[in-house]
Amino acid sequence: MRAFLRGHKIGTAVVSFVLVVALWYLFRPEKLFINKQVNEAAPFAQNDPDQPTYTGTFKAAIHETSGRASVYRNSNGSLSLKLTNFHTSNGPDVHVVLAKSSDPALAKRSPGAALDSLEVAPLRGNEGDQEYTLPSNVDLAQYNTVTIYCERFHAVFGSAMIQPF
Amino acid sequence: MGRLCTLAFTATLALSVSAMLAVAQDSKPIETGTLHGQVHATTGRVSIYKIKGRNVLRLTNFKTSNGPDVHVILIAADDAKDDDNFLKSNVERIELGPLKGNEGDQNYDIPAGTDLSKFRTVAIYCERFNATFGAAPLEKF
Repeated sequence: MRAFLRGHKIGTAVVSFVLVVALWYLFRPEKLFINKQVNEAAPFAQNDPDQPTYTGTFKAAIHETSGRASVYRNSNGSLSLKLTNFHTSNGPDVHVVLAKSSDPALAKRSPGAALDSLEVAPLRGNEGDQEYTLPSNVDLAQYNTVTIYCERFHAVFGSAMIQPF
Repeated sequence: MGRLCTLAFTATLALSVSAMLAVAQDSKPIETGTLHGQVHATTGRVSIYKIKGRNVLRLTNFKTSNGPDVHVILIAADDAKDDDNFLKSNVERIELGPLKGNEGDQNYDIPAGTDLSKFRTVAIYCERFNATFGAAPLEKF
């Protein structure tokens, strides 16, 4: 083998070169280190009031809860929370609160969940579109889960983790 | 003359209101979802807008690995795993184009007539190695 390679130096070089080029073309390993950044404009006017800043969908805990929660930034800087296609169960002393997605109380499927939360407002209706004003200094990166919470029984009806839009 | 003025005013008002409504509808997403992918860490949001009657897919806060022959596709499934092979499987797919960049905001036209009630997942798909870099199940906005 060694003798063969020594005897066909140029041939070996050419074959190895072709092999290296083919493997490079197939795997393009340099792309592991080189990023290709693009930044296309939105296909509509920027800073549009119809664009949410956060959104997420509800998942049930104790009671069947569904729909979407979206946060909008108004032109005066205030934050609005809109619930759309919303449905949950009716109940006593039910509130819209903000919780942390890491809170184990969110997944609790029985009453008595000690939830670390920020109050938004009493839930206006268990069905239908509704809009709430959020505290303007709220940290949505931390309190990132809109939660339907029954204060009387400390029960999580359902929650929606919201993520940047 | 007075009646003519009222008529003209009403018509102008109706036209401007309908124009405003049309703009409002254009910029409201009709579908959205977030990308997941472990093997090639993929994150960000996909949203679909109806712009002048055409559906446009937009990626925002987007990041994935760079790679050879990576495409954006719509698949007729509820979600996709990292090792799904859409070239060999008989899951229907629609090509939206080669991925323009592995980072940053970008738009893709969705072919007219695409049934979005059937194609429920967006996938970032490496055709050379049949690897799903990331997938995002769509949810109605």
